[in-house]
Amino acid sequence: MNTPKQPINQKLLKYTITIMIIIGSVWSASGLQITPDRFLTAPGKIWILVSAMFPLDLSSEAMDRIVPKVAESLFIAWAGTVIGAVFSFPVSFIAANNVSQNSLSRVTKQILNIIRAFPELILAFVLLPVTGLGPLTGTLAVGIHSIGTLGKLSSEVIEGIDEGPLESIKSSGGSKINELFFGVVPQVMPTITSYWLYRFEINLRASAVLGVVGAGGVGAELINQLRFRDFPRAGTVLVVTIMMVLIVDTISAAIRRRIIKGRLIKV
Amino acid sequence: MFSVFAFYQIGFNLEDFQKNLSNRRLITDTLFNPKWDWAIENATLALIETIQIAILASILGCFIALPLSFYASKATNQTTITYYIYKSFLNFIRTIPDLFWAMLFTVAVGLGPFAGVLALIMFSMAIMGKLLSETIDSIDLGPLEAAKASGANQNQAVFTSALPQILPNFTAYFLYIFELCIRASVILGLVGAGGVGRIIETQRIFLRFDRISPIIVFILIAVIGIEQFSVWLRRKIL
Repeated sequence: MNTPKQPINQKLLKYTITIMIIIGSVWSASGLQITPDRFLTAPGKIWILVSAMFPLDLSSEAMDRIVPKVAESLFIAWAGTVIGAVFSFPVSFIAANNVSQNSLSRVTKQILNIIRAFPELILAFVLLPVTGLGPLTGTLAVGIHSIGTLGKLSSEVIEGIDEGPLESIKSSGGSKINELFFGVVPQVMPTITSYWLYRFEINLRASAVLGVVGAGGVGAELINQLRFRDFPRAGTVLVVTIMMVLIVDTISAAIRRRIIKGRLIKV
Repeated sequence: MFSVFAFYQIGFNLEDFQKNLSNRRLITDTLFNPKWDWAIENATLALIETIQIAILASILGCFIALPLSFYASKATNQTTITYYIYKSFLNFIRTIPDLFWAMLFTVAVGLGPFAGVLALIMFSMAIMGKLLSETIDSIDLGPLEAAKASGANQNQAVFTSALPQILPNFTAYFLYIFELCIRASVILGLVGAGGVGRIIETQRIFLRFDRISPIIVFILIAVIGIEQFSVWLRRKIL
């Protein structure tokens, strides 16, 4: 006999969660030797650092060094996204369980999961001996990671499509390839394109930090200036990076909104 | 746009890739010869430290972001000026990548896990602030109005009628951010902000990839395990 499932006791759940949160934070704080007074003194210390950064070092020599680096980060992010998009697009068809075989899709999804589990930085320094110090390493690291994430997102989009057009193509004598091209692609393209742009925004931040391990981009510049205690210049690096990210985010968000709206009108 | 990319690729994609492929030996030979006992001996504590950083930072960051996002939403904050101040504050935090925060904090408060915690607090605060304030934008305004009509002031109204509406979303976002923090905390050590990344960085400098690869495997296991746990918890709670 099937008995209906008991709902979990709400009050008990509430207390358990609260206790879990408290225990978790206390355990972590004691393990890391963090006391409340460190939190209280932190803002003062941060303020010292911030005030050391102003006025910014806006000399032409500094700008000549920083701006190309920031641009390099932008290029890494863009190229990495394109690599991710190009490779993940076919893979996502294989990974989607409604257009490919069941076992095949499961294997592909696991592979994508494994790719996704490596952070870009780890990928970057594994690649460093092969591709050398420079933007190529960063591009590949960002690209490989993007294949994992974009593959997952796109395959989920493909799984959510309307099966009607596929059937009508099949009944009018279309092959499997025709089905994919005329049935699936037009349906998923707008959403997938907006995911690509979204990924580009994320990659932009990722590529900015890649310089820390020497994989090109603005990260190396920042860490060097901080190590040499050249705070005004470090401040300039930060400000230029923030401005670049803000501008790119705004443009990309506008394009994404346009794409999604375009789809709504068409349907 | 594509042409920009092509131009860029040609500029950097030299054919010495082929040549450097032989350097791969240097790394693959050691990478696939993991020294398990060394890693277990030295990396377990650091891995726990990493997880502790993520727990503490995601909890603190999310609970700091909770009140902030009410101020950064049009639905619960009618004062336009404060709305824009909070909104742009959250946007500003979000533009700085997590590792940049970590670098800044290591300079400001010294090397060690505390800098990592602060960096991840900023990181989780920014994401939570954005996700949550957008959720608050789309809540049902009815209960809010009802609470105000029965004499509650703004804070009381928000607390009694807006907060319960977004709590399920808050929990879901919290678990999601916790996962992100676990991933992010792994690499914090590269700039000296504590955790397992520090060990990776030192061994990388000595090109001891045989010691790094088991650590990476541990990280993978930990990350996937925690992800499964949080997926399970999410299903249980929501």
